[in-house]
Amino acid sequence: MTAESDGTIPTEPGDLRVSDMSPDDPRRAASGVTIRGLYKRYGDTVALAGLDVDARPGEIFGIAGPNGAGKSTMVKILAGELAADEGEIAVDGHPWSASVGWQRVAVVHQEPQLFPNLTVAENIIVGRERSRWLRHGVNPFEQQLLADLGIDGLAHRPLETVALAVQQRTEIARALAQDARVFLFDEPNSALTDEESDDLFRRMHALAAAGRVVILVSHRLAELVTHCDRVAVVLDGRTTRVLEGPDLTQEGIARGLVVGQSAREAVLDSRRIAGDRLLQLQGWHHGRGEFGDVELELLAGTIVAIVGVEGSGARELVRSMAGFEPATGRADLGRAGRQISDVTAFVPADRQASLFTNLTIGDNLVARLGRPITGPLGALRRGRMSSIARDAIRRFRVKTDTIARPIRSLSGGNQQKVAIAAAIILRPRILVLEEPTRGVDIGSKREIYRLVRAFASEGNAIVMYCTEVPEVFEAADIVHVLSDGRLSGPVSIAAHEDVESLAAEITRLERHSRTPTELRGVPAAG
Amino acid sequence: MSRDTTTLEPATGLALQDRLRLAGTSLARIGGLFLAVLLIGGAFAVLSEGRFIGIANLLGLLRAMSTIAIVGVGLTMVIVVGEIDLSFGALYGLCATVLAVSWMEGGLPVYAAIILAFLVAIGVGSFNAFFTTVVKVPSFIATLGASTLIFGFTLFLGQTQTFNPAYPATGRPLDPDQLAFFTGLSNQSLPLGVPMQGLWMIGVAIVFAFLLGRSLFGFRLKAIGGNPQAAVLARLPVRRYKFFAFILAGLMACLAAVLDFAFVGSASPSGGQSLLFPVFAAVIIGGASLSGGRGTVVGTLLGALLLAILTNGLAVLRADTFAQQMLLGTVTIGAVVLDQATRRFAR
Repeated sequence: MTAESDGTIPTEPGDLRVSDMSPDDPRRAASGVTIRGLYKRYGDTVALAGLDVDARPGEIFGIAGPNGAGKSTMVKILAGELAADEGEIAVDGHPWSASVGWQRVAVVHQEPQLFPNLTVAENIIVGRERSRWLRHGVNPFEQQLLADLGIDGLAHRPLETVALAVQQRTEIARALAQDARVFLFDEPNSALTDEESDDLFRRMHALAAAGRVVILVSHRLAELVTHCDRVAVVLDGRTTRVLEGPDLTQEGIARGLVVGQSAREAVLDSRRIAGDRLLQLQGWHHGRGEFGDVELELLAGTIVAIVGVEGSGARELVRSMAGFEPATGRADLGRAGRQISDVTAFVPADRQASLFTNLTIGDNLVARLGRPITGPLGALRRGRMSSIARDAIRRFRVKTDTIARPIRSLSGGNQQKVAIAAAIILRPRILVLEEPTRGVDIGSKREIYRLVRAFASEGNAIVMYCTEVPEVFEAADIVHVLSDGRLSGPVSIAAHEDVESLAAEITRLERHSRTPTELRGVPAAG
Repeated sequence: MSRDTTTLEPATGLALQDRLRLAGTSLARIGGLFLAVLLIGGAFAVLSEGRFIGIANLLGLLRAMSTIAIVGVGLTMVIVVGEIDLSFGALYGLCATVLAVSWMEGGLPVYAAIILAFLVAIGVGSFNAFFTTVVKVPSFIATLGASTLIFGFTLFLGQTQTFNPAYPATGRPLDPDQLAFFTGLSNQSLPLGVPMQGLWMIGVAIVFAFLLGRSLFGFRLKAIGGNPQAAVLARLPVRRYKFFAFILAGLMACLAAVLDFAFVGSASPSGGQSLLFPVFAAVIIGGASLSGGRGTVVGTLLGALLLAILTNGLAVLRADTFAQQMLLGTVTIGAVVLDQATRRFAR
């Protein structure tokens, strides 16, 4: 198979053009992108467990899935950044791999992966320059592409000086210039304004209408429903269902995302009646306007989940409750003179930001402690440190034979247990968690929920930022939905029989708050 | 479940296997460097037909390494916390000049002049830390700029002269008691001809080995250097600790300057400029990581010893200057390559 393509399907012996086939011809499936049994594992974690995708030319094919379902692994494989362990990918019936025909699949990222120091035009031709020595310019074809995408006026501006939306269009133009067949959009509009995303979707429809294969990976159910012809739901590395026609609704996707994950275990029994109020936020505004007018209450013994898609401000809200995002308003901590930093401990989602990779497991566990591990003259009490650490790995079921190993020798799930345990050992009244089980296997997830629940039932409060409904269902008592910077009222998890009805409720709240803010009598945040 | 996790079973110390594992890794690290010191020292002893390991030469070696080691352990603190200090050479010259000017020309008693020099060192350390942690200029640039700034100020302050307490420029002889105290700081004969500066080095090493290896300060310093972002999110006192690290580095550069001034009997503004390479090389050869979070006092001492051996041994062998320079460069790179290899092997 040849790397270059003139935009039509190369004819080889035994190869048929799509137009030659009848609509019922089974070979018609060979047109477009066919992924069969894609399998990829990282260490102990299976990211893709036999993923199947069929995306046809002329349609926009959506892919929905929770974090850790394998979407980003699939995107990386198609972008050529990763090699699959097993499975086949075919483009228009021809086997595809990153080394042969990489130009045929173009990935448009959330953060365009281009050369910020080159101009828009240079970004389009770099790698395909016709001259090594002379100043190279765009040819008429490329000029037309720039004009079609409405960025010809910006052709000579350095990429880093133009808006994100223009950078994305440059990425599209670059893909068109190298004549890609397949356009994979990976959460492309999470940082765009509404107007810019509308424009992006128009371009996606235009690409599809021109007979290219367009795949959209998104968290936003409304967009998937509005713009896609079919949507595949990916769970645990597999395609569990493909929705189309009347089945393609937001509720349908939301239910599909959580199906089979409603195993709420003994955790429920230990839920207690809420105790004292540990924190009350009133008129809580973000310093850069990511959220505003938040009213929220944290009671001892409860776990509160804050849900919201990326860019909704939910992450910022949770961080602000630990003092790591600027916010103003009234934060009542029960006693005068108390600071947020006195009563909270924060564990970020990214383990790169929560663990000290140069320290051992044991030292990571006690790294936040000060006085309990210090003796006279500021000397470390090594014996104390290791007994605290060894007690912690027992209590939090960290799987290791010794605390003296480097932290990196642990699996992701066990590293996350260490990160959360290190915060719990500090005994904060309020534990603030950001996506506490991101990239963690099912078994470790359960154990993390269990240890967080145990800590709450000792009379502490936990607030966590979640992006997955099953996590909310399994771990939390109360959920608030943040959408477009506005927080919904509390929703009790116990009021929902199953995870699917909770998912439907959360989806309803996310949509509800998207109604123009003026209609609800709240002035828009400035 | 127990409500209080910090009052647990009585502290029993590390389990035996944990102890062995820790001991094994640190032995492999220090042991490799120690072996290199022995091998290179042995080679010089053979090549120089024994002159290298004569008592007089070995004592000279001890003094030669102590300046590098004293400044080096201070720098180790800054490197461990993940920053860089390029200003210690210039600060060394400034401290000696401040001491000389305030004592010999300003008429301050030498004791006050020494304290003034240390206050200046604290000021420069705070200056570096301020621009690094508050203004957020990378420490490489902040201290590179500070270095030139300090050197310029030193030239202004000392009117570019070299000071000699035995022959003050003012013509007035200094108070003999004060002069005796000052020279006694390091130019004193101890039994067996052991240089006083060697004792200072050992004292400094013990204090810093405790600080870095056995105290909460050192533990947090390593955590902050290993992952500054995690340290902020875990509410470790990142800014304060960086201030301490830069100030300690400044204080040690000042101490070395005072001791050398007392020993040599003269001070010049550019006295510390030649320290930049050997001190950095000693710290890095000693296993400290430029990306932060890793470094030991023993390693830095061995690094200083290795450099002293090389410089001294080549001088004993009367090697050409170009050969000395080329060998020093080779050994510096080679030591780090070797260190990385042993680390991979130990894993």
